[in-house]
Amino acid sequence: MLLLFAIVIAVMPDQASAKTVVDQLKRRVVVSDKPLRVISLAPSITEILFFLELGDRLKGVTRFSDYPKQAAVLPKVGSYVNLDLEKIVSLKPDLCIAVKDGNPIEVIRRLELLDIPVYAVDPRDLDTLIETVLEIGHLLNADTIARRVTRDMVSRIQKIKTLTAQVVRRPGVFFQIGISPIVSVGANTFNDELIRRAGGRNLVKGPAAYPRFSKEQVLALAPEIIIICSMARQGGFERMKAEWNCWPSLPAVKNQQIYLVDSNLFNRPTPRLVDGLELLFQLIHPEFAEGR
Amino acid sequence: MPKDVPIVAKRILFVSFFLLLLLLAVCFLGVSTGSSGSGFKAVWWALMDDSRSDPITASIIWNIRFPRVILAALVGATLSLGGLVFQALLRNPLAEPYILGVSGGSAIGAIIGIMMGFSRFPGVSMTAFCGSMATLLLLLLMTCGHSKFKDSLLLSGVMVNAFAGAIIMFLMSMTQDSRLHNIMFWLMGDLSLADMRQIRILAFVLVPCFCLVFRFSHSMNLLLMGQEVAETMGVNIRLVTVTLLVTTSFMVSITVSYCGPVGFVGLVMPHLLRLVIGPDHRTLVPACIIGGGSYMVFCDILSRVLPDQGEMPAGVVTALIGAPLFIYLLKRSGR
Repeated sequence: MLLLFAIVIAVMPDQASAKTVVDQLKRRVVVSDKPLRVISLAPSITEILFFLELGDRLKGVTRFSDYPKQAAVLPKVGSYVNLDLEKIVSLKPDLCIAVKDGNPIEVIRRLELLDIPVYAVDPRDLDTLIETVLEIGHLLNADTIARRVTRDMVSRIQKIKTLTAQVVRRPGVFFQIGISPIVSVGANTFNDELIRRAGGRNLVKGPAAYPRFSKEQVLALAPEIIIICSMARQGGFERMKAEWNCWPSLPAVKNQQIYLVDSNLFNRPTPRLVDGLELLFQLIHPEFAEGR
Repeated sequence: MPKDVPIVAKRILFVSFFLLLLLLAVCFLGVSTGSSGSGFKAVWWALMDDSRSDPITASIIWNIRFPRVILAALVGATLSLGGLVFQALLRNPLAEPYILGVSGGSAIGAIIGIMMGFSRFPGVSMTAFCGSMATLLLLLLMTCGHSKFKDSLLLSGVMVNAFAGAIIMFLMSMTQDSRLHNIMFWLMGDLSLADMRQIRILAFVLVPCFCLVFRFSHSMNLLLMGQEVAETMGVNIRLVTVTLLVTTSFMVSITVSYCGPVGFVGLVMPHLLRLVIGPDHRTLVPACIIGGGSYMVFCDILSRVLPDQGEMPAGVVTALIGAPLFIYLLKRSGR
């Protein structure tokens, strides 16, 4: 009887070493209780894992995973839209974390067919981003750190909220993410939410997430602030700024409110979005920033 | 029955055997090459199901590399054969498998599928296939009954392609999120998502098409001598033309629907093989199937190996190697 009990106990850890979780796409995923070999399928996931102090469990990341610096030296598994299936399999992961918007669903299915669990996340705004950080923390048994990270995010967001409540006027912002052609951000994007939360008014309306604009259309919008969030180098920004400066009647030119910001603070759904929010608030409402 | 059958049969066997050896060699190279790296010994163990084989390496070889090599061989065979048939039917050395607008129609269908959020298989493949079939039907309706069928077919095809190109540009300008990446990758031709179950379906459809084209290979020889000569020799021109046109367009459509329009291989391979083994279509058809397959497998290996990270489109490699090689052979044959 004792022997039987011992055998059951010996077998039990194997059975208990897997847990079933439901990811943000409502799919049931069976993952190891303690995933130790994780592959991040997007730069944003890589950042979140480093925020959760789980960098040592990362065995592979996608190209352009450049933050923090330690991420840049990890093995690459292709870009997040063009994943290298073979490289992923060869790194023997016990968990891959994917993003709904960007990772090809076909690669995710192939990974699952090869018995590699894939947990998908779908952060759509700051609130779901906070949920995502908590869920990834829970998945990797890092609940305490995840709670700490999200508490910090929530308190900083709340601080901005309190400050923007005192704002009398919301200036019109043109958030430019592409230089040639001119591309901006529409509703239902992180950037639109950040502009609103930072006490600004996104001049771009309509359902298109990333609409293109002609110079004439931008002039017609008469933005008070132009924020250029481009992956182009400083030279590109200077050229674009010089082009806008050719239109002295443009309120943003008149007020000298054309700024360049780091695209990584605005494009990636990571806790650094809160840094982006604070930066935007300082740019849109310098009067508060000076008073602080 | 032509009198030279035994000689031709020997020639077909000789050429096929030589090219088959080449195909096997590049296939082995194909399953031995990949981003994860693994020596020939590891590959041999995995292929032989040896106990020393690492399960992960075996899984990579059987589930990722092997399907990809088979897909590349099928795609290369189909496109080369497609180019050969169109060059013979239209009697135009510039003809290639996409000349009748099949790729344009397919691309429109695929882009619509991607914009609607369908998965690559079967969703996008189905919309792409419907697009190419609709284009073919439109083309046949436009040219049916025309006195200069060949010329009108060629011109209509060029026009349909140009029109499809404009629609593709318009659709792409409307797409602004990550789906644009998917469209770009599809348009470049992508073999990376090869899956054995889907390849079985592809092979099941394509192999009978190859056999049918081979059945008409002698008729293609006669067609090249001119319509009157072919008719005198007993060729039912209408039947041969329509059968080859529909069969070739169908097999090219199904290939493009699955992995996008891989460029250049269909134009250059028939010419290359014609320069090397002569103009007889009875030899050229199997040579295009096996040789085209080998060429595509080789180009796919390079597309995986050449970039430092990630992959480059196989179509880029097919053109980079094919064009200079073709010019060299052309110059040599002209001397």
